[in-house]
Amino acid sequence: MYRDHPALKLSGLTKRYGDGTLALEDFDLEIPAGAFFGLLGPNGAGKTTLISAVCNLLRITDGEIAVFGQPHDSLEARSWVGLAEQDINLDRFLTVRETLTYHGGYWGMRDPEERADELIEAFGLTHKRDTRAPRLSGGQRRRLLLARALMHRPRLVIFDEPTAGVDFELRQELWRYLRGLHEAGTTILLTTHYLEEAEELCDEIALIRDGRLIARDNAEGLRSHFGVERLQDVYVKAMAS
Amino acid sequence: MTPLVWLCKRETLRVSKLWTQTVLAPVVSSMLFILVFGLSLGGRIKQVGHVDYDVFIVPGLITMAMAQAAYANNASTIFQARFDRYVNDVLSAPMRPWQMTLGYTVGGLVRALAIGLSLLVLGLVLVHVPVRHPFELAVAMALGLTLFASLGLVVGIYAEVWDHTTFIQNIVILPLTFVGGVFYSVHVLPSPWEELSHFNPIFYLVNAVRYGFLGESDVSIWLSLGVIAVLAVPVYAWSQWLFSTGRRLKD
Repeated sequence: MYRDHPALKLSGLTKRYGDGTLALEDFDLEIPAGAFFGLLGPNGAGKTTLISAVCNLLRITDGEIAVFGQPHDSLEARSWVGLAEQDINLDRFLTVRETLTYHGGYWGMRDPEERADELIEAFGLTHKRDTRAPRLSGGQRRRLLLARALMHRPRLVIFDEPTAGVDFELRQELWRYLRGLHEAGTTILLTTHYLEEAEELCDEIALIRDGRLIARDNAEGLRSHFGVERLQDVYVKAMAS
Repeated sequence: MTPLVWLCKRETLRVSKLWTQTVLAPVVSSMLFILVFGLSLGGRIKQVGHVDYDVFIVPGLITMAMAQAAYANNASTIFQARFDRYVNDVLSAPMRPWQMTLGYTVGGLVRALAIGLSLLVLGLVLVHVPVRHPFELAVAMALGLTLFASLGLVVGIYAEVWDHTTFIQNIVILPLTFVGGVFYSVHVLPSPWEELSHFNPIFYLVNAVRYGFLGESDVSIWLSLGVIAVLAVPVYAWSQWLFSTGRRLKD
């Protein structure tokens, strides 16, 4: 049973870039199956590097990554992970519907069209289904990016700052969707700069700085540990320490 | 196999969506070469060997158009995917590296074949070009297109700016094609140019294709096929290595 294993287990993960930058150093992290897990840290803390490593988008220097007990680069583990990156990286030649169906095809789905239509409706993109990505508005692109991450029904979904630059209404809408996804049993790893977002959504939060884990607990536990009343103050203290 | 089929479909879709740029434009420019060089110069240069000049240049022009298309297509598709970072959707997918390599290679092959078939039809209608050795022609095309499609992938993966891909096309491939015997038999060249032509890999591709069409070649068909194979296999292996290791594709 895949739920017998942690959704994600990083052991001694180290990433040094070609220019010598050490983005992650001997990083250990375990995220239980079914968790809604937040990863907080300033720019350059190593959040995106961590995510890219899990999703096979960079070559790690050292360490091991397991997704539900399987090596992260195995076909099985890859099929269980969905990723919505921070930057909008949509195929400029594909329409909304093609973006989803081709993604489903890459993930080995036999008939991805039905699932694509389901997500197009869920994300309010029905009237744009035959529009190519560059012709969508910023909010529509963001929705499509999230829909693409969910297309193959992943067990672990990674959202890298999904609400960065989106308006209040869309943010609320996305929060509702993420909550529903979590309630349905999907493990979610969320990175965000919005502390209220992490507090609102996540049942556990990790603080990361300079490629190292600083603290990890639920919002209440973090406040208590740092002896402050607001998560903002936890963040300030943790990053200054 | 499903992910590979979808990647092939995506690469083919890109070619078909941009068909005026990817297929029509090279067909029109090659047709202009046939009309301008073949029909105008054909009045002055009656025959090369036993073949009319307007027929003689058709295999070389088809080779030139197909090789350039296979290269340009794959260099641009992978460079664009890297630049816009939607290549990540493929790199993170449950797909094996050989499937990625083959999937991205197919786009260039499809585009080149669409151009080649269009030019073949035009060649049949305009100058009645024959196809004397279809098997050798198919092998030469398969090897040549594999070489240039793979080269396109390799260059597109290493390129840091768009100009790098066009530099190889304009400064390396195009000149080598022009001096590779597309418009003449190298036997008419004085020494040392005739000998130097034998160091040009495109010379062998042009002659292998010309043999397939016309049954005439400046060198042995087997030597030509051998040289193309010796180049195509390592370049394809190079592109495969890039996808297997993630070098230049993953930070």
